[in-house]
Parts: sequence; C-alpha cells; structure tokens
Amino acid sequence: MANAKNARHHVVIGSGVAGSQAAETLREREPEARVTILTLSSLLFYNRYDLPKVFRGHRDWREFLAFPAEYYKDHRIVVRRCSRVAGVDGPRRTIALEHKEEIRFDTLLVASGGRGYIPEELAEFRPLMHPFASYTEAVSAAAVVPERGHVIMLGGDMIGLDLARTLVDTRHRVTLVAGPQTFWPHEVTDDERPGLIAALEKMGVEVIESADAGGIASIEQGARGLSARRVLFKDRTELYGDAVMPFFGLSPSVEFMLGSGTDIERGLLVNPALRTTGEGIWAAGDVCQIWSDAEKRYRFYYGWKNVRAMGDLAARNIAGGDEPWVPAQDEKLHIGSDGKIQSPFWEYE
Amino acid sequence: MATDIQISIVGSAGDGTIAAGDILRNALAGMGYKVISFDVYPPEIRGFGKCIARMRITTEQAYSLKHQSDVLVSLDDSHAIPHAGELRDCGALVYEQKSLVKLPEGGHMSAHVGPGQLPYPVPIRELSEKSTGANRSRNIVVLGFLAGLFNLPAEGFRKAIGKKFRNKAAAAEASEAAFKAGLDYAAKTFKLDDVTFGPPVSSVVAGATVEMINGNAAIARGALDAGIDTFFGYPITPATSIMERLAAEMPRRGGRLLQTEDEISAISAVVGAGFAGARAATSTSGPGLSLMAEMLGMGVIGEVPSVVFVSQRGGPSTGMPTKTEQSDLHMAVYGGHGDAPRIVVAPTNVDGCYRCAGKAFEMAEAYQTPVIVLIDLYLSNRYETVVFPARPPFEADLNRKPGKPAAGAPYKRYALAADHVSPRAIPGDKGNMHVVTGLEHNELGRPNDSAELHTAMSRKRHEKLKLALNHPDFTKFKRFGDEGPVDVGVISWGSNFGECLEAMLRARSEGIRCAAMKVVMLSPFPTEAVAAFMADCKEVLVPELNYQGQFANLLQAHVAKPVTRLNRVSGEPMKVEEILEEIRRLAGRGKTAQKAA
Repeated sequence: MANAKNARHHVVIGSGVAGSQAAETLREREPEARVTILTLSSLLFYNRYDLPKVFRGHRDWREFLAFPAEYYKDHRIVVRRCSRVAGVDGPRRTIALEHKEEIRFDTLLVASGGRGYIPEELAEFRPLMHPFASYTEAVSAAAVVPERGHVIMLGGDMIGLDLARTLVDTRHRVTLVAGPQTFWPHEVTDDERPGLIAALEKMGVEVIESADAGGIASIEQGARGLSARRVLFKDRTELYGDAVMPFFGLSPSVEFMLGSGTDIERGLLVNPALRTTGEGIWAAGDVCQIWSDAEKRYRFYYGWKNVRAMGDLAARNIAGGDEPWVPAQDEKLHIGSDGKIQSPFWEYE
Repeated sequence: MATDIQISIVGSAGDGTIAAGDILRNALAGMGYKVISFDVYPPEIRGFGKCIARMRITTEQAYSLKHQSDVLVSLDDSHAIPHAGELRDCGALVYEQKSLVKLPEGGHMSAHVGPGQLPYPVPIRELSEKSTGANRSRNIVVLGFLAGLFNLPAEGFRKAIGKKFRNKAAAAEASEAAFKAGLDYAAKTFKLDDVTFGPPVSSVVAGATVEMINGNAAIARGALDAGIDTFFGYPITPATSIMERLAAEMPRRGGRLLQTEDEISAISAVVGAGFAGARAATSTSGPGLSLMAEMLGMGVIGEVPSVVFVSQRGGPSTGMPTKTEQSDLHMAVYGGHGDAPRIVVAPTNVDGCYRCAGKAFEMAEAYQTPVIVLIDLYLSNRYETVVFPARPPFEADLNRKPGKPAAGAPYKRYALAADHVSPRAIPGDKGNMHVVTGLEHNELGRPNDSAELHTAMSRKRHEKLKLALNHPDFTKFKRFGDEGPVDVGVISWGSNFGECLEAMLRARSEGIRCAAMKVVMLSPFPTEAVAAFMADCKEVLVPELNYQGQFANLLQAHVAKPVTRLNRVSGEPMKVEEILEEIRRLAGRGKTAQKAA
C-alpha cells in the first residue's frame, strides 16, 4: 500500500532541476514509497533558466512552473515548501527542520543547489543589489528597472550573461563590470578572454573590466533625479544605473549538512554513483562534487542537462542501481558564426 | 472588480481567534464591504478547544459561507491542520513560522500545504513578542499581516481595534504595536496568492445605518426597537448573548431584566408580565424550551402575549451545545400538552432576526398569544452587514383595547369575537376586572369545561392565529429564482436557507430551471402559498439540519406532494455543493444523475 507507514521514505532536499527529476524517477522506480521534497521556496518547481522572461513582461509565477499542482497530487510527491533544513543526523536518519519538526528518512538525496555568491568586499552593499537567483528576486529586479532602463551587472557569470542577452534584446542598457567570474563556470584562458569579451560587446553589452578601474569602491543610492544606484570605482570613476545585479557564480548550499557524517569540501563529496560518505545519503546537482577518475579530483558539473541527469542517476541508484556518473553535456564556451557567445549551459528543454 | 473572499482564522481558545475575527469583520464592514461570518467555539467552557472565525467578504450580497476559503490563518496548527484542505488552490495559507517545541513529522502546517496553495510562514510569535513584550497579541499581528498582504487600508483596522479595546488603554497600545509589526512584515513579503480585494460598493439609503451584527445581537436590537420593557431569562448556549445584550441596554431605556433561577421561572415571569401589559420576552435553547412547554400552554389558554427567542443547538439533552442544528422545530410548533397553538417564525438571516424579533412583539400583542422566534446557533453566531432603517419598522401598541364598559355589563375578556381576537384589558383598567386561569373558561374567564365551550374556545385559539398570515409588513415566505414551472424547487427554513439560495442560484447559472422558497412563518403555516409554489415544481427538495426532516414533516402535513429530503446532522452548516449536487440529480444533471441512469 502506497504511503503506508512501513513504506520506504525517500526525502529530497531541494526542489530544483536535480531534486524534481530525482523525485519523479523515484516515484517511477518505487511506486509504493513515500517521496518528500523539502524546499525553501514558496513555489513549486520552476525553471530558473526561464527567469529572464520577467523582462519580457512575464510576471505571473504560474507561467514559470514546470508542472501544475495536479502533477504532485497524481505522482504522490509531497512538496514541503518554505521548509528550511536545520540539520541532518545521518546515523539516526533524521532531518531537523528549522521550525522544529523532525522527519525520518530511509534515503536522503541532497539537491539543495547553490546560492548566488557575493564576494566579501561587496557583502556590505548587498541591500543595494538585486540578485536574480529566484522567481521573487527576478520579479523584484524587473520591477525596479524601467523600460529601456540601465542594468549594471557585476561579475557576470553564465546565468548573468544569459540574462544580459534578454536585457539587450528587450532594449535595456547593460553594463557588465567584468571580473574573474565573468564566464563562470566555464574555465577560460587568458588567451580566450579578449575574444569572448569582444563577443559580448558585439552582443550589445557594454563591458568595463573591473581590474582596469581598480575594482569597485562602493555601491550607493543614486542621487535625486538621477538613476537609482551609483557604482564607484577605486579610480574614482562612477557609473549610474537603475539596478545593480551581482553574478559571481554559485556557492553550494551545504551548511545544514555539517555534522551529518558526510564529507564536505566546498560541496558534498560523492563517489561516481553520487553516494556521499554518509550511509543512505546521496547528492546531486550544483551542491555536489563528484569524484572524477580521469581528473583525479572532486569536481562540480553544471548546466541544466548535467543537473537533471544527476538527479535521475542519483534516484536510480537510490532505488538499487549502481551506475556511474557520465556528464550529459559539453562544457565548452565558444563563439558562434554570428560572432556571439554560445554556451552549452544556456541549453535546456 | 467584484470581491468575494472568504477568510478563516483557526486557533485554540485563548489565542484570540474570535477577537481577531471580530476586528477583521468590523474593519471590512466599516470599509463598505458586505460581510457574512460564522464563528465556531469549543464545547468546553475552559481548556484549549478549537475556535474558528470564518467570514465571507463580498461586494454583492452573499447568502452563505463558501465551501472553500480563499485565506486560511492558523493560530494553532494542531487545530488548523485538519482545515488546510478547506483552502482553495492559489489561496493564502498563513501560519506560525516556527514552533516553540519539538514537533513530530506532520506536526507543522508546512506539512499540509497543498501543492496548489500558497504558504506564508510568518514569525507571528516573535513579532508579537518584539513589538509588545508578550505573545498575547499574535492575533493582532496576523491582522496587520493580512492588511498589508491584501493592501487593505490600515486605518480601517485601527478604528476597529480601537473600538474593540476602547476601555483598555494598555491593550489598545499593544495592539497598535502588534498590528504595525504584522503590517511591516507583510511589506517585506512577496505576494503570490491571487486573492484581491476590489473596491467596496456602498448602497446605503440616506438615513439608514449599516452595522456588522450577529443574529443574537439583531434579535436583541429588534426587541429593543419594538419597545421590549421586561425580560426574564436563564443563560444557555447559544442564546445567552441575547440576554447579555439586553442586560446592557434595557436599564438605560427604563426596562427591567432579571436572570431567574431557571427557565420555568423565566417563562412564568414572562407570561405574568405579558398579563400585566408588558412587552415581555425570554430567550433559551432547546433544553430550556422543553422546560417552558407547560407555561407556554398557560400563555396559550390565557391568551397572554409573550415572546420566546429560541436558538437551537445539537441535541437531544446536552447534546452538542456549540454545534448548530434545526431539530427543535417539532417542539416549537407542536411541543406541549393539549391543543396549544402558537405562532412560530424562523428568520433566515441576520436582518430577518431583527425583523422577526420586532414583529414577534407586534404579533404576540395583536393575536394575544405566545410567539416563538426560532433560530439556531448558526444564525445566533453568524455576523452579517445589516442596513438598519432610520426609523424602527415596528408598531408600538397593537393591543385591542376594550371599550368603555357598559353599566352593569360584565367585561368579557374572552369574548367570542368574529375574528376570534377579544378585547384585552390590562389588570388595573377601571371596570374591566376579569379572571385569567389555566382552566378552560367561558368568555368571562371563569372556569367552565362544557363541551360546547371547550370546542368554541379551542376554535378561537386556533383560528385567531390565521390572522398572522396577513400580518402587515412582514415576510412570511418568499420565492426566489425562476418564475412559473420549474424542474426543481428548493424549500427551506431558518439559517439553512442561505445555502439553499446559493445552491439554487448556482444551479440556475448552470441552466437548470429552478426556484427556491423560504418559509419564515412556520405556524400558522402559509399553506396556500407553499402549495402554489410546489405545484410549479416538478421536483421539490427540502434540505434541513436535522435527522427526521422536521420541516418536511410539517410541510407534508399541509401539502400532499412528495418531496425529496436532504438531512444533515453534522453540527455544521450544510454545504452548498451538497444541495447543488442534489438539485442537479433531481434535474437529471450531474454525476449522481448519470450514475443512477
């Protein structure tokens, strides 16, 4: 009998691409099991790759959902939204939620993804910036940028550059304050960088190399009658815009796993079958570092296809499989025949 | 944009659930919305039972609560969790973010938020403690949050809070701080639900006043506006607040109110006061009405004006004192020994409570008989926005006074008049000395048990009541919906009629030819009008909140046409969907009909 007390309870932390795919696969593989997703989000799974659409006038969250509510009812997948995990006790197989509820699991898949990384020197300016990692952040950012407004993009990882494409396309002005993370998570050599920057400019993005201006000195409220924000550089040049948006790559969300009995470096360390060092605990997506025999190191794999494949693989292995991880997509950044940047990380279904 | 939003607040006794509901509905009514509201209390006087304040806010007139709420607030998850499913998809579920104690799996509301619902975990306790130094104002924090989330004017809430705590300065100050804390938190909250308040629509006639009032308060106000001057009563749920309101108001108006030692004393004193010429009344519930049965007979045979307000609850015996039911109809209409006819009226909404209460005094006086105003807990505790006319619509004195006594001719208190209503002298009227007794009597009032007299007096006591069917400016019944022949006709009474009306209107919107009739006058029964209505109906549906089908029984005693009964004794108001499904079935539509076919 499904959902009976003695049914296996698979818990997935995270409702993004990896977690949602894992839940679906688990349901397929184990029709009798309980499948619970824990997520911080107020919304059901939506595709964050779609978020730039907010600048095309799409603001209703229902347009972003990957599945309707009925999908979860039909698949008997329980999604616990607004549920922050405080800690995981691996040996006891329990999860403590911050609101003081304790949940027992038979297997746990950590697919909590990553949060937007902000460099330490900019942390104090966080309240003046508009991150773009969630639906609510995206809508909030779009709300402050007027038609043909000016967005100052700091860092500029591939999530940010994807947004920049839409902003330029929707006749916004984009100034990218480029830095080491501009093409994150692609690894770009010094020789490749000038060509890629030129390709960005060809796309219509204005680029300022942060290092040339001595770095950012401060971010301030804009002056009356001028734009909403001012970015001051150390060489005393300044830049006005309607919004300042930070894009410095992702930082894995693993703090709740401290003390869980699993090994953590930057992310959760997993073997090629995506199993952590904790009994009954797997990891998938942007949160895990997978052992690469070829490279003899633990490494992250990014991109929609990779993340989805990880969720699927982890679920299959949780359900009794023992398959190794095989990357699902190319990681090479290149310049297309139109002279514009093409990233495999921008591809999704 | 039309507004039709239902908000439910669920908590434990002591959480301020009902108080929050009270402030919320008053604030919204003050803004100009129409509000219909029903609170649920626990049966225990002390303890931590479940309380629910539920209200529907509309711009157009609504007749019942909806099956699903648009907003659900939990002040206590242990009580609110079973109600999570009552929130519609895309509705807002507001709950305490963090528990103070460890919870087992499923012990927190977040475990029960449906995939289509929108969760709003709010640090309610923390906001209350930070803003007021105590957690007592959690309910007010929630009101601030709702005001902010739905962009409702804070001033309207502040007024309602100020009114609630007008004599408690410290509580008012704390509430203001708690309200602001909730409001500020909402400003930082991203609104995801699709609950939107449109502008209110005001349709108040000049001179009239609009008030948010419940059935019991409306009864009390109707009694006061009709000039009640004497009240005797004994408290009983759910009628107590009628007496409480009158106790506060009557002394200011020169009236007298006494809490007697029991219901027998109360009705005895009311009959005595009626005999003495007072506009007198009592209030009770089913168990109390049982005790009053004997003295009501005294009122009938003595032809003494007296008014009894009865609010029904789940029975028999102590039964379910805080749950609603319509199971005292038989007792109200037939209860008592002998042929003891009385007038029984059953309002169907709060405005009706006001009108029936006032008209009860008119009819008691005009037809010299006890009048029972029969409501139930659902109506007693149901709040609605009521428009009160500038001038009370009740006549002050309808007593048929005796003329100047002819010299030497005795005054016939029980004269067998053509219309069966005798001139009534009040004790002390010069020259009109007479006897009033519980024994059968002659026209003078003197005991006499002859067959002829008993027959004549019995006829008198029954026939005069028929005059009430033409009592002026009083709705005894009313038809709604399609005119002429219909496929389904719904007949109901009392508090349940709102649900019936909603169901009928929805059925019409689905293309079913149907109509509904409310019957306010239960005794004497408006047979002619009801029979005419039933003749128009291919099928007749009678929904009511009792097991026996007491109204259907009454109906069939007067009109010989088969009816379909829909009876529920859940202790809750009937669901509109249940009635609608039955209408569909009878009309040959819907799932049930298809299944049967």
